[in-house]
Amino acid sequence: MSRFLIQRPLPHGGRLVERVITDKEAAKKMIKGCPSYDIKPTLHYETGVPVRNVYREIMSICYGFFSPVEGSMKQAEVERILKERRLLNEWIFPYPLVFDISEEDYKQLGVGPGDRLVLNLKGKPFAILDIEEVWRIDNPEELAHLTFGTPERNPEVVREPFNKKHPGWVIYRSLQPVVLAGKYTIINEPKFRSPFDRFWYPPRKSREEFDRRGWRTVINHQTRNVPHVGHEFLMKCAAFTGDVEPCHGILVNAVIGVKRRGDYPDEAIVEGHEAVNKGGYIKPERHLPTIVLWDMRYGNPLESLLHGIIRQNMGCTHHMFGRDHAAVGEYYDKWATQILWTKGIPSYGFPAPPTDVPYGLDIRPQNMREFSYCPTCKEMAYSETCGHKREKLSGSFLRGMVAEGVQPPSIIMRPEVYKVIVKWWKHFGYPFCNEKYVVNKEKELEVDLEDL
Amino acid sequence: MGEYFMVVLLDDQRMSKIRGTGLEEHIKYMFGGELRLLEVKVSEELKDKILQEFDTARVDSRGAITDVPVAFMRELFNQVAEKKSLGSDVVEAVLAKVDEIKKAAEKESEYLPPPEIE
Repeated sequence: MSRFLIQRPLPHGGRLVERVITDKEAAKKMIKGCPSYDIKPTLHYETGVPVRNVYREIMSICYGFFSPVEGSMKQAEVERILKERRLLNEWIFPYPLVFDISEEDYKQLGVGPGDRLVLNLKGKPFAILDIEEVWRIDNPEELAHLTFGTPERNPEVVREPFNKKHPGWVIYRSLQPVVLAGKYTIINEPKFRSPFDRFWYPPRKSREEFDRRGWRTVINHQTRNVPHVGHEFLMKCAAFTGDVEPCHGILVNAVIGVKRRGDYPDEAIVEGHEAVNKGGYIKPERHLPTIVLWDMRYGNPLESLLHGIIRQNMGCTHHMFGRDHAAVGEYYDKWATQILWTKGIPSYGFPAPPTDVPYGLDIRPQNMREFSYCPTCKEMAYSETCGHKREKLSGSFLRGMVAEGVQPPSIIMRPEVYKVIVKWWKHFGYPFCNEKYVVNKEKELEVDLEDL
Repeated sequence: MGEYFMVVLLDDQRMSKIRGTGLEEHIKYMFGGELRLLEVKVSEELKDKILQEFDTARVDSRGAITDVPVAFMRELFNQVAEKKSLGSDVVEAVLAKVDEIKKAAEKESEYLPPPEIE
């Protein structure tokens, strides 16, 4: 065996968190006599539009995507994350994750440390929260600023103060004041609706699937977009990293959750990626589109850290990062994520890259630049190797073309992918996420639950 | 600060409206000649105004302002054809109709007719 072979990394924290009870009778016994609470979406503090649903965090925690996190965080843990981006058990983690409720709901529930609270979703028992601590968010605006940083405190990468135009900042600004901290356990497994069901590969299942396919090395492609040919080339070429041979697999992991207006619907995103392999542009044997539930915080380097954690937990050996990774607006340096993964960002608690600090990550970053069309080479070309003037591809430009009813040329978007966009456009009456889509989606969510 | 622009895509119908206006010599071809377009200049001040007026609007990696309502893009072409210009005066004229555009955009944020494709 070559000493250069790369082995699949252990989950972040050393073991996968799996907090899902599949025995319904046992679950019924666990919740007997416990108070219950209907999960409510987090509403924008000004407009009242849904911006987050904590059920997605509960799912991602209990199925192990966020290992080693096991529940809603205690105050000391949140404070440590905001200061050093570390959990109390030392493992690195970027964001506070809390179960927050209003003062009115808290009074009405009358629960406290030591109590077990049943969390209902869509009117059915879904999970339990074993409360260990109750604490308060006194100033959500301050929490939001501390979560993302400021140009003064994080001069390496933060370029503009965060504000209400930033969807992640809004999520933290909109949190309710009472936090119930403690471990979550899912007691009634939700069933994903089509098309999400066939893309659900939680970490244990994805690792088993990699084994089944014989994938030793797997590179992840983070997405919240329908793929254009630039993405396709990014995936194909990034996969040439690996060890003694290119990566065996390309894992596409789409973040499913509340979206910004103007983004593509989640249904089109996942099926669009599937269309890339169905069309043969990347062999299905080498390509696996999947999902993770998370209301994006758009925290660029911080989000990339979460992405590294999720994909290491799923069993990936490599993760590609590009320009403006998981970013919105111009709050961060365009290359903030790559700065984190190559040099570290001391002001966020990383004097070295997250792979080079104690209790850090083992997944290998593959920092990529851009692909665009070169009229001289007459093909998609990489910015760092092609010496010609190229025509940049941009998702926003493509969205504009789609909205105007112009089919993008196949050199920039595969016709199979465009057909998927139009399929869901017909379904929703709109090609992108609009207010109606966001509100309906937050009512229906991605899952249904059976009676317990 | 950087230079910004907006892209006006040209299909056959739009081409017929700018024929003979002198704008034809500014047509750019992209992606192996598969796309024809014009680029309208946008000043820093007008870029800020567009982003302020339309919360879906964004600036992409090329400095292009995108994701404005379709009504905005239609009016942008109308003004290009009317003024026979690709300068900031075009965007100024579009923004002068911002209320009208927003009204049309309200409807199009609910529904856009999908194209009929095979």
